[in-house]
Amino acid sequence: MSSGPLASQRGSPLDIVQSELGCNWKNIEDARQKTEITLKSLSTIIGGHPGADTSVGPDTSVVVHGSLARLECTQGSDLDWTLLVDGIADASVQQRFLDIKNSLSDTNFDELGLKKPGTEGTFGALAFSQPIMHFIGGEEDSNSNTTRRVLLLLEAVPIGERHGAFERVRNGILQRYLDEDRGLLREGHIAKNKRWVPLFLLNDFARYWRTMAVDFAYKQFDRGNKGYALRSIKLGTSRKLLFASGLLACFWCDPAISRNEKQTPNKQSLIDSLGKFLSRTPLERLALFFLVHMKTSESESLRTTATSLFGAYDAFLGLLNNQDKRLHLEQLKPADEENDPAFVDARKIRRTFRLAVQEMFLGEDSPLRQHSIEKGVF
Amino acid sequence: MAYIGFSTGALAFGKFREALRLLHETTMSAVEISALRLTELPILIESLPTLKLDRFRYVSVHAPSRFSEDDEDGVIELLQRAPCGWPIVVHPDTIHEPEKWDGFGSQLAIENMDMRKSDGRRVDELGRWFDRLPKARLCFDLAHAHQFDRTMTEAFRILSEYGDRICQLHISELDSTGHHFPLSSGSIQAFSEVASLIPLDSSVIIESLNPFRGKSDRKQRAWIEREAERASEALSREEVVEVGLASLGPITLSPSPVRA
Repeated sequence: MSSGPLASQRGSPLDIVQSELGCNWKNIEDARQKTEITLKSLSTIIGGHPGADTSVGPDTSVVVHGSLARLECTQGSDLDWTLLVDGIADASVQQRFLDIKNSLSDTNFDELGLKKPGTEGTFGALAFSQPIMHFIGGEEDSNSNTTRRVLLLLEAVPIGERHGAFERVRNGILQRYLDEDRGLLREGHIAKNKRWVPLFLLNDFARYWRTMAVDFAYKQFDRGNKGYALRSIKLGTSRKLLFASGLLACFWCDPAISRNEKQTPNKQSLIDSLGKFLSRTPLERLALFFLVHMKTSESESLRTTATSLFGAYDAFLGLLNNQDKRLHLEQLKPADEENDPAFVDARKIRRTFRLAVQEMFLGEDSPLRQHSIEKGVF
Repeated sequence: MAYIGFSTGALAFGKFREALRLLHETTMSAVEISALRLTELPILIESLPTLKLDRFRYVSVHAPSRFSEDDEDGVIELLQRAPCGWPIVVHPDTIHEPEKWDGFGSQLAIENMDMRKSDGRRVDELGRWFDRLPKARLCFDLAHAHQFDRTMTEAFRILSEYGDRICQLHISELDSTGHHFPLSSGSIQAFSEVASLIPLDSSVIIESLNPFRGKSDRKQRAWIEREAERASEALSREEVVEVGLASLGPITLSPSPVRA
C-alpha cells in the first residue's frame, strides 16, 4: 500500500552489500527484526482504539520517527511519534490524538522494549501540515518545525492503515524545495552542465545537522552534562548517518550518481525518485550507493569503506543493545570519560564511522567527491 | 488533444438532453453522456437511438458511480447496448466482480479516483485493475490526480506507467470534499506540468460544474467555450517544463515516452 521502510525490506540493498562483502552485521539485522515486531505491535495498539477507522477519514497519519523509523530499535529506544494532520480544519482530530495517547498510556512499554514517551515536547503531539510545508526558513520556522519537516523526509515511517496524509505532506515538502530552487535543472553559465542537486533541500538538511550539533552543546549546558557521553556517541553515529543519508539523497538526484536512466529533468520525476530513495532507511540509502557503484568501480576503496562504515555502525547498535553498557554511558560523567573502557571503545566505533563517512563522500576515488566539495562544502 | 467537449452531468446534472441541446450550438466535438445515478441509466440507454449526436466526433458513456452487487448484471446488460465504439467509463470501486466486465475489452475505461476513495488512486492500485481487466483503457482524471497529490507526482507515475492506455481525460477543478468547479489558474498550472506526458490522441471531457445553469443559453454557451479554452491552455503540450520560478526560462524535456 505504502512506500515506507518496511516495504523495502525484501531484497534490501543492505543485505546484498553484506552478502557481496562477505560480512555479518548481526546487530543491524537483530535491530531490524526487533523493529518490525515493535512496529506491528504499535500498529495494532494505535489502530485498535475505538473509532480508529471512522473518526477522521484520510486526513491524518500516525508517524513514528527516531530509531523505530530507521529500523534500528534496541533495548530502551524511545517512541517518538506524531499525529500528522493534513486536511480541513477539524477539531475532532484532537479526540483521535487523545485516543491514541490513551491507547499508548495503557501499553506495557517494557514488553515492547521501549522507553515510555514523555508528556511534552516535539513528539507525542499533533503536527499540522501547513506550517511544516509553508514555513521553511524565516521567523516562523522554529526548531521543532524544522525538526518535524526534516525528519518527515529523513527519518519517518507511517504506521496503521492511513498513510495518505504522510505521503501528501512529504511530496508537498519536496515540491517546495524544488519549486523555489532557482537554478535547479538549469545549465550553468560557464560549466554548461545541468544542476541536478537540489541545493535548497541540501542546505536545509545541512542546517538541521548543524542544529543537532548545536543542540547537543545546548543540552550539555541545560542538563548539566547529564547523559553527555551517550549523546556524544549518538551525535557522531546515528545523527551523522541521518545527515549523510540526506546529503546522499540530494546527490542521488543526479543520474550520474544514481545511474537511474529513467530520471528526467522535471519536478515530478525528481519528487518521485527522491520519495522512493527517502522511503528507504538511512542505512539502506547508503547501501544502495555502495551497491550501485561497487559493481562498476575498479578500485577496492569503496568495498573497504563500506565494510568499515557498516561494521562500525553494527558495533554501535550492539553497544546500544547492551543494557549495562548503555546505562553506564548514560550515567558517565565527562571527567571520567578518558579512563573509561566502555567510552574509549564507543569512541573508537564513532571514529571508525566518521573516517568511513569521510572516505565515502570525499575519498579520492569516490563518485561523490566532486559534489561533496562543490555542493556540500563551498 | 483529439477532441474536446463536456460531460452532460457537469452541464445539466441528471438532464442529458438539456446538456446536449446546449452543446449543439458550440464548437465542442466530444461529449460524455453520464448516468451517474443508477436510475438514470435505463432512461439514457433507451434514449440513445433518439439522441442527435452526429456532430460529435467522440462520444463516451459514464456508468453509474454507485450500484449494488445485485444490480451489477443489470448495469452491464444496459451498458452493452451502447455502440461498441463508445468508451464506457467506470469507477473501479463500483465494480463488484471484475470478470463480468471483461467482455467489454478495450471499450472499458477505468477512471483513476480521488482521495476519498480507498482504491484506484495510485499507480499500483490502478495496476491491480489492469491486471484483472488487461484490455481496459484509462480515463485519466487530472482533477482526481491533483486532489490526491497536489504535486502531480502520482499523476506523473500514472502517466509514465499507463499513459499508453489513455482514451480520454477528465478535467476540472476539484475541492477537498470532491465537488467540481471551473478550472482555476492553480489547476491549469499543475495540469500543464504533466501535459507533455499525455498522448496526443486523448479526447478531453470537461467536468467543470456549469456555474451559469438556469441562466440564458447565450451565457452558458459563452462559458462553455471559455472553459474549453482554459482546458486547452492547461493541456497545451509545451515541450518545456518549468522547475523553479516561471520567469527563469525554459528547460528542454526529453521526448515523451508515451507520444502517440
